[in-house]
Amino acid sequence: MGFLDALLGGQKKLKTAAPDRLFAMTTAYVTMATELEMISTGSAGIVFQPLATADFEQILRDTEELLAGTAQETGTALESSDDEHGYRWIILRDPDFEDLVVAMNTVSTELAAGGYGDRLLAAVFPFDKGAANDSASMPNPSRGRRVYFIYNYKRGAFYPFVPAGGQQKRDSEAEMRVKAQLSKEGIPFEPELSRWFPLWEIPL
Amino acid sequence: MLLTMFLLGLLYVGFAGVLFAAGAGAAVMAVVIAVFALAQLFLSDKLALRSMGAKEVSPEEAPGLHAMIERLCIQADLPKPKIAVADTDVPNAFAIGRSQKAATVCATTGIMNTLSPAELEGVMAHELSHVKNRDVLIMTVASFFASVASMIMQFAFFFGGGDDEDGGLPFIVVLLASAMVYVISFFLMMALSRYREFTADRGAALTTGRPSALASALVTISGAMQLVPETDLREAERMNAFFIVPATVKGSIKTLFSTHPPMEQRIARLEQLEAQLQTA
Repeated sequence: MGFLDALLGGQKKLKTAAPDRLFAMTTAYVTMATELEMISTGSAGIVFQPLATADFEQILRDTEELLAGTAQETGTALESSDDEHGYRWIILRDPDFEDLVVAMNTVSTELAAGGYGDRLLAAVFPFDKGAANDSASMPNPSRGRRVYFIYNYKRGAFYPFVPAGGQQKRDSEAEMRVKAQLSKEGIPFEPELSRWFPLWEIPL
Repeated sequence: MLLTMFLLGLLYVGFAGVLFAAGAGAAVMAVVIAVFALAQLFLSDKLALRSMGAKEVSPEEAPGLHAMIERLCIQADLPKPKIAVADTDVPNAFAIGRSQKAATVCATTGIMNTLSPAELEGVMAHELSHVKNRDVLIMTVASFFASVASMIMQFAFFFGGGDDEDGGLPFIVVLLASAMVYVISFFLMMALSRYREFTADRGAALTTGRPSALASALVTISGAMQLVPETDLREAERMNAFFIVPATVKGSIKTLFSTHPPMEQRIARLEQLEAQLQTA
């Protein structure tokens, strides 16, 4: 937002979604699996503000039908739920990671086409890190951890989020390490740490 | 709050006048003004928090509030501000800080207990809009210009009167004239503040997509305001300019003096936004 906007009283519209960069995950997940032992849980979620307007619910129903149609080929399962903060999650399950990303893209594209792209908050990809046997002599503190990759639609950028167990605790060290390990993968990471917003109680 | 602010500004202008009369040059004056303005910009947030008895809270201490504000920040495309809670029954919230990165958003325990989650979300989105629109900075700059305007006034009188000692106007006239200029700019500032409240309401509606939730919050708060104990109200008086709803709602006359637009107007505009949303 420019200076003039600020002076005249702020923006007229929210930033809309930048969905195209979502596909950065489809190349990165291979390296993540082979080199970092970060395995996709076979699920992903998209979280947004459900608006209480008639056409919004209609767009959601259409989107779900569209996904159900393609699901017969891809086998992507879909469910949706509301969380305690009043946001809606669409949860997609598919062992094929690329199908997951494609389905996610379908949801955001449909919402954007209906004029509700600005309601999209984030896409979330959960990974299990190093669940495999750990015979190394050095204990690795990030073993057996859940790592979420959060895509901020407003920023068009990803950041890792590692809950540390315990209320509202996160493992910032592990998050920064993951970012460093994937620095060559072409993932558009969020540069400002103050925008690595956690999402608690992710239903994934 | 209003009177305090007004008197403070007046004192400021008077002080500058005395300083000038005492023979301080334009350069010294400029430095003094700049120091005042900077002190206001950098210290006022800490002072405001302290005078409210507000404490910064960690995510562990207020998980719900943090999670709510984090999501609103994503939606409004803002970095996360500091979050503070003031332990008072007065249901209110305010945002302070000179920039988006140095912002603090504060809610009272009263507002968190009074409002429903959706209403509270609307209020916090309103405060985040203030941060987004850099309202603290703009109001500080505006009050700075108001002071500068009356300062120029003083210079004009002193130099415009000619060089001869006898032709110069008496000091009291100069002081009165600069006070006049200050009073006028003060009303303009109040008008600017009211305009920016409307803007923040619109910003909040945009961020949450729920204009009616904010409207309902405003109704709830103004209702609750009349129920809170007198002592708390007096305590809160000083903080009005930062509040989402001024703590002393007397219902009439004061529109011109008010930092906030009347409740009915704000709700009417939010209703318009809701109508636009539903028919878009």
